Amino acid sequence: MPYFLRYLLLLIFLSFTITSEEDHHEEESEVHDVMAYVLDPAARGIWNFSGSYVTEEGEFRLEPTSDEGWERIMQSAKTVSEASYLLSLPSRSEGRPLWLAFSSSLEVIGDKAFEAAEHQDPEELFKVGAELYQVCVACHKAYWVKD
Amino acid sequence: MKKTLIKFLLITGLFSVSGNIYSHHAFTAEFDAKAPVNLTGKIVKVEWINPHAWVHVEVIEGLKKTIWMVEGGTPNTLVRNGLTKQTLVPGTVIVVRGYQSKGKLCTPRCRANGRDVTFPDGSKVFMGSSGTGAPRDGADPREPKR
Repeated sequence: MPYFLRYLLLLIFLSFTITSEEDHHEEESEVHDVMAYVLDPAARGIWNFSGSYVTEEGEFRLEPTSDEGWERIMQSAKTVSEASYLLSLPSRSEGRPLWLAFSSSLEVIGDKAFEAAEHQDPEELFKVGAELYQVCVACHKAYWVKD
Repeated sequence: MKKTLIKFLLITGLFSVSGNIYSHHAFTAEFDAKAPVNLTGKIVKVEWINPHAWVHVEVIEGLKKTIWMVEGGTPNTLVRNGLTKQTLVPGTVIVVRGYQSKGKLCTPRCRANGRDVTFPDGSKVFMGSSGTGAPRDGADPREPKR
């Protein structure tokens, strides 16, 4: 093989690797941003409005008492569903089947939360909120939390 | 030959894209494994919310009264372990073992990650979640033995 072709191929390889590394950091940062600014606030929009707290004065429910409050939960639920697509983008999923499975779960759970909020069903919303966290934990164990 | 080499280089380059995982850690992000706490006080509030239940404990040291917010596992996990609205009753004096938050200023509240809770009858119950990266301190009955 001529020398110039070897050097050309080497240069192509090196530039590809360097670009890929930069792209990867960018993609990692994008995933972080989707989590921090899209998914996490949306999940909290579900979690913070279901359940209760108990004091010596009694039990106080956290679900909304107005249609507008439930509407806000529906918005959060829809965001969770749509975040599924953001995480499934090829540059973020990198074709990993497990990643894609977790992303798809978000869509299913987001839809269930939406339905629970639409029916103003606090028990169902609480149950779905727990399922949502299970998906978060399972995904973080696979791709984030390392002991 | 040339085509095979180019394919090889392209595939090798593509594999270099495959990801590092975040080095960030769930427990260590918020709590300090080197700051164990042992809190005795009465329960003043229990938040039964996802993703974590919170037990608020009033700790009295001399004339100083401090409310500690202790993070537990998910409400479902707590219930499975026997910690329910009937057992975690406000007014009950408990002992909680756990780890303080990295921020030690206690503003607006002192915070800790709870590992186990001991009731007045001496019974001790795990109140955390498994696999969070909390220290292996023997509190979690499900954690693998060393």
